[in-house]
Amino acid sequence: MAESVVSLRGVSKSYEGATAVSQVDLDIAAGEFVVLLGPSGSGKTTVLSMIGGFTAPTTGQLFIDGADVTETPPAQRPTATVFQDYALFPHMSVRSNVGFGLAMRKVPRAERSRRADEVLRLVGLEGFGSRGIHQLSGGQRQRVALARAIAVEPKVLLLDEPLGALDLSLRRQMQDELVRIQKSVGTTFVHVTHDQEEAMSIADRIVVMNKGCIEDMGPPSRIYLRPATLFAATFMGESNILAGEAVEAAGECTWIKTALGTLPVPGRAAMGEAVKVLARPEHVHVDIGADVGAIAFGQGTVTEAMFQGTHLRLRLNAGPQGAVPITARAAADQSVTVGDSLPLSVRSQNLVLLRG
Amino acid sequence: MKPRDIPALLYVALAVIFIFLPVVVLVQFSFQDGLAPVPPFKGFSLRWYDKMFADRKLMEALGNSVLVGGLSSLIATALGFLAAFKLARRPGRGAPQMQFLLMAPITVSYIIIALGLLIVFNGLGFGKSLLAVGVGHVVINLPLCFAVIYSQMGEHQANVERAALDLGASEFKALIYVTVPMLWPALLAAFFIAFTLSWDEFVIAQLLSKFDVTLPVVIFSLLRTGLNPVTNAVGTFVFAVSIGLVVLVELLLARRPRDG
Repeated sequence: MAESVVSLRGVSKSYEGATAVSQVDLDIAAGEFVVLLGPSGSGKTTVLSMIGGFTAPTTGQLFIDGADVTETPPAQRPTATVFQDYALFPHMSVRSNVGFGLAMRKVPRAERSRRADEVLRLVGLEGFGSRGIHQLSGGQRQRVALARAIAVEPKVLLLDEPLGALDLSLRRQMQDELVRIQKSVGTTFVHVTHDQEEAMSIADRIVVMNKGCIEDMGPPSRIYLRPATLFAATFMGESNILAGEAVEAAGECTWIKTALGTLPVPGRAAMGEAVKVLARPEHVHVDIGADVGAIAFGQGTVTEAMFQGTHLRLRLNAGPQGAVPITARAAADQSVTVGDSLPLSVRSQNLVLLRG
Repeated sequence: MKPRDIPALLYVALAVIFIFLPVVVLVQFSFQDGLAPVPPFKGFSLRWYDKMFADRKLMEALGNSVLVGGLSSLIATALGFLAAFKLARRPGRGAPQMQFLLMAPITVSYIIIALGLLIVFNGLGFGKSLLAVGVGHVVINLPLCFAVIYSQMGEHQANVERAALDLGASEFKALIYVTVPMLWPALLAAFFIAFTLSWDEFVIAQLLSKFDVTLPVVIFSLLRTGLNPVTNAVGTFVFAVSIGLVVLVELLLARRPRDG
């Protein structure tokens, strides 16, 4: 891995006894697009605020570019923040907003305007320089906030739920733009969100946080397909979680006894250990005949079938006495009706062994 | 209009007349074309205004009023802003107590403040003067300036200030380039409220001044020799300035804060 730009070492933050962040260790590489993902109160915003210098850690150390900045105020850190409410300067023009950081660095006016216009072009706001902030739409303000932060050429750009206030289609569009801009400027981006779809579509690496701790981190596909913890598994998307018990080791797999049969799950567990097995809905198949290498996953009675365009989303009662609710997907053109009893199947490599 | 609304409307009409009739009479008879500022109204004339503007004593007092009002309001606004900034942005320990202490002078009657200042100034060896009046006006206006500015300092602006710091501004530069321009309407409103109160404040001005006096003090001394159309003209002038400033303050504070 490239040299890390940001390093957190045992960083904790507590407010009057309540712990917001506890013992976080995190290394962020130069040029990386990292997304801190978690529900509200998970400590993700506090971590961002500590990197930016707005919140002082209670314990631990923070390094940016190799220098200990734990005690350094925001103005002297090589970071710039895109705030959730944009926090633009309402009394200044777009160009003055974008050039503010450069003005504070005593860059001459002409150079400042040139650079501001250049960054505005990058975020797709060419020709907006002399407008007032109040003349802009929400999406345009968002871009100005981004341009203002990029203009100072920070080592690390911090984004605090910047897309939260935008409507869905604009949000998707801005996600693509963010990735494009990040690749073109090459700056390290640290982005906070509670939207796992957003995280998956923009991140090089996702850091899943819960209750002030890092639950899991890695590339989006790894986090989604092979989450490290139960929380990461359920937060990243819809999931079927089965309680089970390890009964036999078999090579790279361990046989886990569950209510839907004894399943070969990749990973190791001690014999007799109580574990959980994750199967994503799209990995639970209802058309057993078509699937080579599938293993039986019990019989399920359909209780709900919802047409979702790309697929049918099924709710089934599976297992003995139908006591295990399962969510599965079927092809959109498959004819499934409520009350059907269907054989379920999964593939061993799609199952994930979880603890806790 | 329903018949049962009539008593309510009558009540409102009477209340409005009760409040505004004296002012209306004062203004009307300042234009009296005659020597007696009492009914009947003999016709419209600006001669009393001519007389007022030609009166050196009145014009000196006018200058004094503007000077005392302007400077004391400027100081009260500046101090009020700094106090509000500290208490809104870096509250720290004892902030509620500090706020209480800042607001407390509002409950003390002007005569008590004037007496207190008189004793202090005598002790310090500089007696009644325009400076003493100005200090008195800072004392009575500081709580109001603080309250007006403090009420306009929201969390959103705190984030904007944070953004300025984040982009490399020193605390002082963030204050000058971001906080003050953002609070411009509140600062102007505080200034004009203070100016209005100083402009027609009488008790402190009377007790703390000697040779150089402000307009309300001159009006009072004019009234001692009896009613005179000039006093009506001066009163109307003072009233018009006050109303103008109040309207200005209303416009400044009622302006919708721009979202962004």
